[in-house]
Amino acid sequence: MVHLSSFLLKKYHGGHVVIRLALGGATNRPFYRIVAAYNKRARDSKYIEQLGSYDPLPNIHNEKLVAFNYERIKYWIACGAHTTKPVAKLLGLAGFFPLHPMTITEAERRQKAASIEEVTTDSQEQAEQKETL
Amino acid sequence: MIHSMAAFSFTRCLVRSYFCVKCVDHVQTRLQATTRMFCVPASRSTQFTDTEVQEILTKITGLDLKKVFQPKRQQLTPPKYKLMTDKELEEAVLKAEEQAKHLLKMPPVLPERKPINDVLSEDQMLEGMDTTKYVFTDINFNVPHRERFIVVREPSGTLRKATWNERDRIIQVYFPKEGRKITPPPIFKEENLRVVFEQDRHEDVLNQCVVQFEPDSAEFKNVLMLTYEDIEKHGKYDLLRSTRFFGGLAWHLVNGRRIDGLLVDMLQRDLMQDAVRLVRLFNLVHPQSESAQHAQRQQATDLNLLKIYAQYESNRAGFIELAVQTYEQTEAPSSF
Repeated sequence: MVHLSSFLLKKYHGGHVVIRLALGGATNRPFYRIVAAYNKRARDSKYIEQLGSYDPLPNIHNEKLVAFNYERIKYWIACGAHTTKPVAKLLGLAGFFPLHPMTITEAERRQKAASIEEVTTDSQEQAEQKETL
Repeated sequence: MIHSMAAFSFTRCLVRSYFCVKCVDHVQTRLQATTRMFCVPASRSTQFTDTEVQEILTKITGLDLKKVFQPKRQQLTPPKYKLMTDKELEEAVLKAEEQAKHLLKMPPVLPERKPINDVLSEDQMLEGMDTTKYVFTDINFNVPHRERFIVVREPSGTLRKATWNERDRIIQVYFPKEGRKITPPPIFKEENLRVVFEQDRHEDVLNQCVVQFEPDSAEFKNVLMLTYEDIEKHGKYDLLRSTRFFGGLAWHLVNGRRIDGLLVDMLQRDLMQDAVRLVRLFNLVHPQSESAQHAQRQQATDLNLLKIYAQYESNRAGFIELAVQTYEQTEAPSSF
């Protein structure tokens, strides 16, 4: 039986299924579940299916653990589900989607910022050296 | 009656502490299948998995029901008593023996797993993105753990497959197995192993090792080797006699050509048949050795095998020959 979104969404007029991050966890300790839910539902409320998880805080080995159930994600995308930006970015980093353009843009911006900082610290050091001499 | 009671309590124990035996068997049969697909048909050297080798090893292991169903530490429950006829008792003993055979299934001896160095993509443009690694796992339930996709995105931008250690850790996080810890417990460090060996608790260490590590990992083989070395150094072969690790011990010693200690121990305990089987195994594994060639020439059986081995290969020839002679003398009058 194929889930055709338009058939089911008689209550939500013009709604659709999304694959998004639902926030859980505790104070100062977020934990996201990757979830297929209707668009109009609240962020953390009843979802259709859980497709994975994402832990934004790195563990002892400096890793952020992300889990995806690729089979079910493929199914929901085949049914016409949309993905939100963070989910698309994560899937791009995983290699399942092509890399998100904003990931590349952010990386470039950071590299630029890092190089500008280097230049300023270099010039500061040079100024200090000249003062001491 | 006692055996049925013990058998019942051990069906429960079976689930708890020998959970890995099923998966280990699964791994072994799958690896056997892959080697059969890719190997040249004529395999020269004898492998651990050959039927003859396995037969010999199971027979040497022995089936001491009292030791296999030894009272182990488990949750206290009141014992169950059953009233049986003699026939039913025999059937219960047979069932217990079958279960003992299942409990005595040997952990497989597999070649060490090769490190994974696969890089899926290199994206230098992502270099400054993050200071942490991202580990992506596939949590589909139908995929066997060996084929699961576990992929790491490094801060330098490379997307690579996870190493074996990372794989084990992450599979334990998402699909926890009973008894396995995420970081290996400190008992497997060498100093702690020494302490445990002094207390003669080799079997417990080996059970924990089987549960904790995969059978083809380096740490598993390392712990097994250290245990076997220690047992051979102190001659404590009887500790493992009716357990499932005896086959592995015998295999390790035969491959290292150091079966003298074990042979002497068997002869001291009057286990002639086992000693003969051990020498036969040695000849199977090392067909180029002198004792094997002489044995084949003379088509020797039983005690002659022992004599040939004692003559050509062993360091304790005197003891072995003496033991064989005394056995023959005790056998000769009894055959009349």
